[in-house]
Amino acid sequence: MNDRRLHLQLGIGAVIAAAFLGLVAIPSWVSTPSNVRNIVLSPLFWPTTLAGLTAIVGLGLVGTAFALPRAAPDPWDVDDRRAAFLRLAGAALVMLATFWALPRLGMVWTAMGTFSAMALLVRTRHPAWALGSAVVVPLVLYLFFSKVAGVAIPQGELVRLP
Amino acid sequence: MSLLDSLLAGLTLVANVESFLALAIGVVVGVIGGAIPGMSATMAVALTLPFTFAMQPITGILLLLGVYKGGIFGGSIPAILIKTPGTPASSATVLDGYPLAEQGRAGKALGMALWASCTADLVSNLALILFAGWLASFALSFGPPEFFTLILFSLTIIAGVSGDSLLRGALSALLGLLLATVGLDLVYGTNRFTFGDPNLMGGLNFIAVLIGLFAIPEIISMVWNPRGHEGQTRALGRDWVTFREYRNSFKSILRGSFIGVFLGSIPGIGAAPSAFLSYSEARRKSPNKANFGKGELEGVAAAEAGNNGVAGATLIPLLALGVPGDVITAIIMGAFMIHGLQPGPMMFILNTDVIYGLFIGLIVSSAFLFLVGSVAIRGFRFVADIPRGVLFPAVMVLCIYGVFAVNNNLFDVGVMFAMGWVGFFMLRFRIPAAPFLIAFILGPLLEDNFRQAMLMSGSSPTILFRGPITWVFWTLTAITVFAIARAGAKAARRPAA
Repeated sequence: MNDRRLHLQLGIGAVIAAAFLGLVAIPSWVSTPSNVRNIVLSPLFWPTTLAGLTAIVGLGLVGTAFALPRAAPDPWDVDDRRAAFLRLAGAALVMLATFWALPRLGMVWTAMGTFSAMALLVRTRHPAWALGSAVVVPLVLYLFFSKVAGVAIPQGELVRLP
Repeated sequence: MSLLDSLLAGLTLVANVESFLALAIGVVVGVIGGAIPGMSATMAVALTLPFTFAMQPITGILLLLGVYKGGIFGGSIPAILIKTPGTPASSATVLDGYPLAEQGRAGKALGMALWASCTADLVSNLALILFAGWLASFALSFGPPEFFTLILFSLTIIAGVSGDSLLRGALSALLGLLLATVGLDLVYGTNRFTFGDPNLMGGLNFIAVLIGLFAIPEIISMVWNPRGHEGQTRALGRDWVTFREYRNSFKSILRGSFIGVFLGSIPGIGAAPSAFLSYSEARRKSPNKANFGKGELEGVAAAEAGNNGVAGATLIPLLALGVPGDVITAIIMGAFMIHGLQPGPMMFILNTDVIYGLFIGLIVSSAFLFLVGSVAIRGFRFVADIPRGVLFPAVMVLCIYGVFAVNNNLFDVGVMFAMGWVGFFMLRFRIPAAPFLIAFILGPLLEDNFRQAMLMSGSSPTILFRGPITWVFWTLTAITVFAIARAGAKAARRPAA
């Protein structure tokens, strides 16, 4: 990907995002009292200004894109692109599963699973070390945060730690 | 309160085992974090932050400052030994550090890096002590219009110099400002982008956004390319840096220190540009010009002095004005806030003991850096051997615990994951993350000061040009935009190599 294409993509994306903000998001999800006499003090003013500036920057990116003939490193450069995208999807799934499991299984057990899954995804060359650390690291962190820092670490429904 | 009283109050606060231990541990953690390719000083500071919640404010902040200083130096170790800068600030160190390692003189290069780092660090700390108080007393006369223009100038310069494109930096800053609008409106208390979710009413948690933006993308990058960050470690060699070599490079070290102090005190410029400027100045003035890039010891000294000279100076705008100088000081600002302290000119009046305690701790940190650095150079092989396939999953788990610990809220963990993907795509599309984070932190301040100024003036925008201070900041902002745009246009016209 060269700089020109990058700027074009970002610029078009920024203009679309600004249009979405201005036409949909701000009218729908920013509430303002009816008695605001001055537009500058309205809760709508700041987000609207930012959306406008985003559109201007987006147009600037599009406008300057054509003055950028320089080649740039491909941001997705990797040996096996398909496998890499599959791993990315795997990472997204691990994060979703972690977020879902945290209140149900508790932080320690979930973290053990997350650790193991991430070690698999980064193709660890030390599976035994990874497995050992997957058990030890969450337990050590649990001990520190719950016993030293006094944080109420979620325990879940299954196995509760002291 | 006289200077002596302030110093005594500071000494009372830090003259205990916990403070010095925190500082020492911080330096060790920082050097290790900076030395691990793929991690960075920023990531190390961000991951240490949750551990400070249970500490006294001064102890926690000293721990973070230790990590910061250690991290900046630590980045030079892999830069020299495996041609992989541990932090962006160490990129200039590679230029002569690695050729020296190839010649079997890695020990000499690392020794010089350490001496230069500690010297620059000390100069930077002294500059902080000399200038922060003066700037804070000056800033006491600032009102909302002055703060608005100051923050606008800071954001402009951060957006301009963080990446290689002013527009991409500006886009990043705007996204950060937009994210900062989530929550209840500052004046009317109405909902903005909360979607009826009580979790969003207080705005997004700063620590969750920070860790999501600076730690998780590195983990995702590791998933994307597990065999990145691998390099061949060079042996240290037998010879060590001599005092004579240090003396020969002293002029470059001192120049680099002052460049670091000057650039560090301007919000947003950071260590990497300072290191390169110091390096190029040393090369320009050196009688051994031709040897630069081929293994010149003075090149290593200049680059390291440039990046470490920033470390104390970035705290000048933070402590005196409440404006973070770079991402790491933004994290430290978060630590202040978590402990109920608001950095800025009033801190010099309300929390003099904390300020002077920090000053004393910073001076001591230079000595710790020297001691820890000497050991770390020899121990790098063990750090380099930490399997990244184990380290990065551990970092992920640490992020989960740390972010949860801030508010005891699982929602923040979700925010962190979401921001991690945002950060990863920003990384891939070369959108700098620093303006995003700093804009996210300064966004509420910017809006608040703007609206206060409007309330003061009955909504007349002329108040934003009410005096010489605002005019100075407007002028600086205009000059910054013009200079960066011009530099960008020049770079674009340059034919591809």
